[in-house]
Amino acid sequence: MKRLFDTGNAAITEGAILAGCKVFAGYPITPATEIAENMSRRLPHENGFYVQAEDELAALHICIGASLGGLKAMTATSGPGYILYADPYGWALGSEIPVVVLNAQRVGPVSGITGAPGQGEFYLSRYPTHGGNFESIVLAPNSVQEAFSLTVEAFYLAERFRMPITILADQIVTDGWESLLVPETEDEIKQMGLRIATRKINQGPEFYPATDEIDVPPVVLGHNTGAACSDWTPTSDGYDTEEVIWQHKHAYRLIYKVRNHQDILPHYEEIALDDNPDVILVAYGSPSRVVKSAVRAAREQGLKVGAIRLITLWPFPDKAFERSVKYLSVELNFDGQLVREVQRAMPKGSEVHFLGRCGELPKVTELVEAARTLINNQPLESIQWQREAW
Amino acid sequence: MDYLARKYLRGRKIPSSACSGCGLGQVHKKVLMAIDQIGLTTGDVVWGTGIGCSGRQTFNTWNGDNFAGTHGRVYAIATGLRLALPPSKKIILTVGDGDAFGIGLLHLLHAARRNVDMTVIVADNFGFQSTGGQYGLTTPDGSVTDSSPYGMRDPNWVQDGRDILDIVKGAGAGFLARHTSIEGQNAVESIKQAIRFKGFSLVHIIYPCVTNYFSKALGTRDPEVACRWLTERTNPKTEIEGLTIKTGIYPVTDGNRLEFSEQMQQITQAVQREKSNGAN
Repeated sequence: MKRLFDTGNAAITEGAILAGCKVFAGYPITPATEIAENMSRRLPHENGFYVQAEDELAALHICIGASLGGLKAMTATSGPGYILYADPYGWALGSEIPVVVLNAQRVGPVSGITGAPGQGEFYLSRYPTHGGNFESIVLAPNSVQEAFSLTVEAFYLAERFRMPITILADQIVTDGWESLLVPETEDEIKQMGLRIATRKINQGPEFYPATDEIDVPPVVLGHNTGAACSDWTPTSDGYDTEEVIWQHKHAYRLIYKVRNHQDILPHYEEIALDDNPDVILVAYGSPSRVVKSAVRAAREQGLKVGAIRLITLWPFPDKAFERSVKYLSVELNFDGQLVREVQRAMPKGSEVHFLGRCGELPKVTELVEAARTLINNQPLESIQWQREAW
Repeated sequence: MDYLARKYLRGRKIPSSACSGCGLGQVHKKVLMAIDQIGLTTGDVVWGTGIGCSGRQTFNTWNGDNFAGTHGRVYAIATGLRLALPPSKKIILTVGDGDAFGIGLLHLLHAARRNVDMTVIVADNFGFQSTGGQYGLTTPDGSVTDSSPYGMRDPNWVQDGRDILDIVKGAGAGFLARHTSIEGQNAVESIKQAIRFKGFSLVHIIYPCVTNYFSKALGTRDPEVACRWLTERTNPKTEIEGLTIKTGIYPVTDGNRLEFSEQMQQITQAVQREKSNGAN
C-alpha cells in the first residue's frame, strides 16, 4: 500500500489509472485542471494518451471515440464544461458506450466563482442531456480517499452498465489535500473493496438487446464484428429506425437496466440513526463532512440528531428516506436542489427543511442551532434569506 | 453498383431511401470504387457518418463496422477512435456540407490541425436538404430556398473568392480535392489518394438535390437539367456568375507532417524508454 498526501485531483487520476483508463481528453478548467495536468504526466507511463481538446464538446466526443475503439476513457471538468457535455453525453447514453465523466462543482450560475465549492448540478447530472428515456448513474465523493475509490467504481459501473457515469465532486474535494492510500497489489485492491471490470467486446449480431440485463458487452469498432452504433434509435442489430416499437424497447432498456440493478450501486451512509433521532441532516460531498461533525456536536449537547450522507445520487436512493421525521437538507446552493428530491422520497407526515450555503461550507454551530430550532418546533425562518421553511 | 453493393454493402440498406434523382448514390459509389480499386476489404475500414442526407443515407450501409456520430462532431469521435485502432485500419467518414462546414467546422479544422489519419468525404448538396431545403454554407449566392424566399445573401464559403478548402488547408490538411458526383474516374482517383494518404484528407464532392434545391432554384426536379447545370459550372473556360466549381486535387504544401496517433505513440514510447533507462 502506498500512502500519499495529495489532492482529490491526484486521487482521481490514480483511481482512473488503477481502473485501466488509457485515454483522457480534457479542456483546462478550474477546479479540475489538475486532473488534466496529472493525466498528461501519468498516462504515457501507462501506455495511455492525453489529448487536450479544442473544447469540452470535443473532449467527451474524443473519449467516446476512444472507448468505441476499446480503450477505457475519462474526461473531467466543472459546471461550464459539464453543460457542453450534453451533446456527447446523450450519444454515449443512447449508444451505451462506457465512459467516465467528472464534474468538480464550483459556484454558479455560468462561470460564477472558479475557486470555491458549489453544488448546482445535482439536477443537471440527473438529466445531463436532452430527450429523456434514460436513467443516469451519479456518484458523489466527500474525501480524497473516496475520490479515488469512486473513480475506480465509476469505471467499473461504466463497463457493467455500458453507459457514461458521472462523478459529481466539488471544489473542496478536488482541490483539498488529505492522506490517500493507493493499493499496489491484487490483494490490497480486494482488501479495499475496489472493483475492476475489463473491457469486453460485443460480437453481435445483437448489439442492443431489448432486456434490462447488465453485463451486455458494449459495441467495439475495429474487430470486424459488423457492429453499428449511432445516435438514432437502434434496432437490436444496430440499424437506425423510425419505428416506435424499437424506441419502446430501447427506452425500456436504458431505464430498467439501471432501475433493476440499483443493488450493485454504492450505498448511502447512515450516521447516528439507531435511536430514531428527531432531526436527520441530509448532505452529499464536502458539506457532509461538516454535517458529520455537527451530529457529533449536537449529540454532545444532548440533541437527538442523525444524518444521511448520499454517495450514489442518481438513481436517487429513496430507501434512505423511509423514516417519518424532520429532515434538514444541507447544500452548497441557495435555490435548494437535493431538498426537492428528499421531499419527494420521504413519507407523508415528514418535514423537510433547507439550509443553503455557496462558495463556503456551513459552520458546525450553525447546523447544530438549526437542528435545535427544529427539535424545539420553532420555524427555521431566520434573519437571513438563506434559511427558510421549505 | 451490383458488384460493389454485393461486395461491400448491407442488403437491407440497398436500395437506399434517397430521393429519386439524388446524386448521393453516385458519391457513395465513387467511394466504394476507390476502396475496391485499392483492394480494401470490409474489415479494413471503419465507416462513420454525420447527420443529414449524406450521413443518414450512408449510415450502416457499409458491411463492416459502422458508427453515426452527433451532428458535426464525428471528427472528434474519429480522433479518439484513431488512438484505439491499429494504424492499418482506415477511417472513412461520409458527411454533409452542414456537418463539415457549418456545425462541425471547428472540430474538422482541429482534426486537420492534428493531422488525424481519416478520410472525410463531404457530400455537398448546397444546403440543409433533409430538413426540407434551407440554405447552407455552400448554397450559391442568391438562391431561393425555404429559408431564403427573397434570395440567399448570407455570406458563405463559396462567395467573393472565398473557398472553404483554403481554410482547411490553412489548418494543416495534407490532402484535399474537389469534385462533382457527375465526374468519373478522375474523382475516384482523388478518393483513392485521399484514402491512401497517411493523415487528414478531405474530398469535397458536390452532388445535385433535385427534390429540394433544384426544384426551387431552377424550378425543375429533372436530374438531367440539374446535372447539366452543375457540369456547365464545373471548370468553365470563363467564370460563371453565382457559382464556379473548380475540380481536381487541391494543392497543399504541408503533406508530410507526422500523423496524430503516431505522434501520441512517440510521446508514450519516449516516456517508457526514459523510465526503463532510469530503472537501469
